Amino acid sequence: MIARARDASPRRFPMRHRLLPLAWTLTFLGLAILLSIAIGSVFIPPADLWRLLAAGFSGALPEPLATYALIIIGIRLPRTALVALTGAALGASGAAYQGLFRNPLADPYLIGVASGAGLGAVIAMSIQWPYSFWGLMAIPMAAFLAALLTVLIVYSLARVGRAVPTTNLILAGVAFGSFATALTSFLMLRSSGEVRRALGWLLGGASQAGWMPVLGILPYLVIGLSILLLSGHALNLLQFGDEQAHQLGLPVTRAKTIILVAASLATAAAVAFAGIIGFVGLIVPHVMRMWFGGDYRRLLPLSLIGGAAALLVADVLARVVLAPQELPLGIITALAGAPFFLWVLRRSKNQGYW
Amino acid sequence: MLRIENLSVSYGARRVLHEVSLTVDNGEMLALIGPNGAGKSTLVRAVSGFIPAQGGSARKNGTNLLTASAGERARVVSVVPQVASLPPAFTVWETVLLGRTPYLNFLGQVSSADEDIARQSLQRVDALDLIDRRVGELSGGEQQRVLLARALAQSTPILLLDEPTSHLDLHHQVGLLELVRALAHQDGLAVLVALHDLNLAARYADRIALLVDGEVKAQGSPAEVLRPEVISEAYHLPVQVIPNPLDQSPLVLPDSH
Amino acid sequence: MFRKLIIILAALAFTLAGCAPAATPTSAPVPTALPAVEVPTEVPTAAPTASPTSAPLTITDGLGRKVTLPAPAQKVVSMAPSNTEILFAISAGPQVVGRDEFSDYPAQAKSLPSVGGSMGQYSNEQIAALKPDLVLAGGINTPEQVKALEDLGLTVFYLGNPSTLEEMYANLETVAKLTGHESDASTLIDSLKARVKAVDDKLAGVTAKPIVFYEIDASDPNKPYTTGPGTFIDLLIARAGGQNLPGLKDPYPQVSLEQIVVANPDIILLGDAQYGTTPEAVAGRPGWATIAAVKNNRVLPFDDNLVSRPGPRLVDGLEALAKAIHPEMYK
Repeated sequence: MIARARDASPRRFPMRHRLLPLAWTLTFLGLAILLSIAIGSVFIPPADLWRLLAAGFSGALPEPLATYALIIIGIRLPRTALVALTGAALGASGAAYQGLFRNPLADPYLIGVASGAGLGAVIAMSIQWPYSFWGLMAIPMAAFLAALLTVLIVYSLARVGRAVPTTNLILAGVAFGSFATALTSFLMLRSSGEVRRALGWLLGGASQAGWMPVLGILPYLVIGLSILLLSGHALNLLQFGDEQAHQLGLPVTRAKTIILVAASLATAAAVAFAGIIGFVGLIVPHVMRMWFGGDYRRLLPLSLIGGAAALLVADVLARVVLAPQELPLGIITALAGAPFFLWVLRRSKNQGYW
Repeated sequence: MLRIENLSVSYGARRVLHEVSLTVDNGEMLALIGPNGAGKSTLVRAVSGFIPAQGGSARKNGTNLLTASAGERARVVSVVPQVASLPPAFTVWETVLLGRTPYLNFLGQVSSADEDIARQSLQRVDALDLIDRRVGELSGGEQQRVLLARALAQSTPILLLDEPTSHLDLHHQVGLLELVRALAHQDGLAVLVALHDLNLAARYADRIALLVDGEVKAQGSPAEVLRPEVISEAYHLPVQVIPNPLDQSPLVLPDSH
Repeated sequence: MFRKLIIILAALAFTLAGCAPAATPTSAPVPTALPAVEVPTEVPTAAPTASPTSAPLTITDGLGRKVTLPAPAQKVVSMAPSNTEILFAISAGPQVVGRDEFSDYPAQAKSLPSVGGSMGQYSNEQIAALKPDLVLAGGINTPEQVKALEDLGLTVFYLGNPSTLEEMYANLETVAKLTGHESDASTLIDSLKARVKAVDDKLAGVTAKPIVFYEIDASDPNKPYTTGPGTFIDLLIARAGGQNLPGLKDPYPQVSLEQIVVANPDIILLGDAQYGTTPEAVAGRPGWATIAAVKNNRVLPFDDNLVSRPGPRLVDGLEALAKAIHPEMYK
């Protein structure tokens, strides 16, 4: 009986296997990064790739190596970085939201961050910004600020005295999210010239190229994700409900607020440049939980790494499936995510892994 | 010793507890009885700090638990809740280890000393064989024992239990209360148990406090509190109290019409 | 379980690296839900200024950027169908090395490599791989796309959307300067102006201006989309001796069937004919039978590309509109 229980419970890793999940996931990420750099809508023969590596990407390169170097250094490398960071933010936030709300359907957009960001972006798109650094930053900044504002509004709406009940958060988030989405649709219909642009942003995908977006979101991701990585123990406690967590000594409202802010910060930064990319924040934590157990001290870093890897793979698919036409990332994650999720559901039917 | 003084709790305009004063000595088991809605659960939750109090204090050696920080309080008071929502995927081991939270850093890093204490707690409640099982697979009685083990792992001088026997069969009711009494008498904890079963309270508690409509109507030994006129009035039901043939403790029986 | 995953991933990597994605362009443009219309937006500087056309040339583009070319461009990538049409019209066709997904006119353009463009996503890699010395962006492209290409070291010129025929001629001259075809452009502009004048002359004596309803999309036949002030179509309908529905304020308003019935247009032009709408289908729509255009059988399919791409074919569009609106002058 006990032996059966041991087999059925995948989380009982003995000490020496503690780092194994991390090793596997990091390997997966490494492969995904390599894929992302080696593959794109332009085919680079492996032989040339080796020659480039040998030459160290520098010096006067003959054609076609020079163009390949430009593509890899100028396009693929910064894009890989941006997509990986975005995926990491979505994966970690998704895990945090699922822990915070104790709801398997929770994802980083639960309390309306996506809708708010979309509204901010579409409003910004209706203005003609000058072609300058700040002009080009206007839309991502508007999206970012709108996302944070949304969290603030939803939090204030949900608060009851000193506590913030999770049900209220969800209700307020859904309500405000619907409102923001409706307003966004209305604005898109009014300024029909910008519909295509808005739609492209909303469907998700790296809208800006180069290193600037990476540098832009890095500080917020560092802050948000560091806090989340340290919140595993608190999230474990919160799984037992506010009351038990409180009685075990966790300052519940403060912990929930900090985690909510950190996760929202990371999500807002991710959405600012990458648009609304769904399913990653929902599915990656589930898969990690199924494989490696529900201890949030482990689930958070694994979801972070897994999210980065998953989004990189999706991005490669986006660039390759209909080359030279690149698909918006949000479409790929939705198309690939839904059946994948159903498969996970089927597999987990007999094990209560939640 | 836990000293509750003039504790008042209201839900909005509705007053649930009115100037409740109780003491629970170290090594003593106090049973809190009273009809439904009297405020027993509220009292437990207020003393553990989960519900804010509108007046009064709950002290242990001068520290007012109601104004202490969550961490400080968790080192002094542990609670076995009534209806516990337990995440089914957690193992018993992981659950009991969480009882060490007040002594861990915010990362939740566990030392071997913590693990020893957790293991001892499981042993004390006789649940060591459940250690690898997932909490969602356990029976009600087993879950209750695990929660008790977790509270023990918290190593607090004061232990509160909120109707721990309500979902248990006779065997487990007796087992749990005997264990709780041993914890009070042998380990020296100050134990407050909210109970609905008057006879169990009579049999196992050292002292009893009767709570009706948010006020303490009687406090004292079982024989002092469990008197027919007191109980009849509190429960709006005529009762007779006879000595229990087995140990002479008061036995409350609803009167026949 | 994980070993399996690693193997699958490695196999995927080798497979993808091994199969070359299609370098040849796809044959048909992907139909999108939104009509591929180009909106004349307000751009900061409408008239690009130029320095004398000796070897290096510097022109300010539609985003206010000063673009410098050492010599007229010989390898151009066009990012908008209108730009492709302009390039070919001024005889710069041989200098075009790549075009966006939707460029389908003239026919030679279709055999050029595509660089994407559907759903707003271009392949910067493809553009870079073609090694152009000029990338010609248009009103449908975003400043972010321009910046991304600029960061790769490419020379990008953003050709702002014109709002009048004169501005369109100016754009032709600009592109001609960029590609070294000033005289071709000059000839083209002269012939375009002559044709426009011919239309003006033909319609000089006309007094009755029929009401025209130009249909962009009628997925919901009770609330179709049409064009209003700010679009070329609106401008050209007026130039072609017609009048648009009264009371329109937005460039692409959605009007109700009642509004149309009240306005009672004499002519209905189906700009959505390319998506399959036919005059018979229109006649069959409930509530449309009372409209004068339907009663008198004056529901005509119309090639929307002639009036929505801000290039030289706008004049073709004008002529087509004039023939449709005043057929009596063309007998």
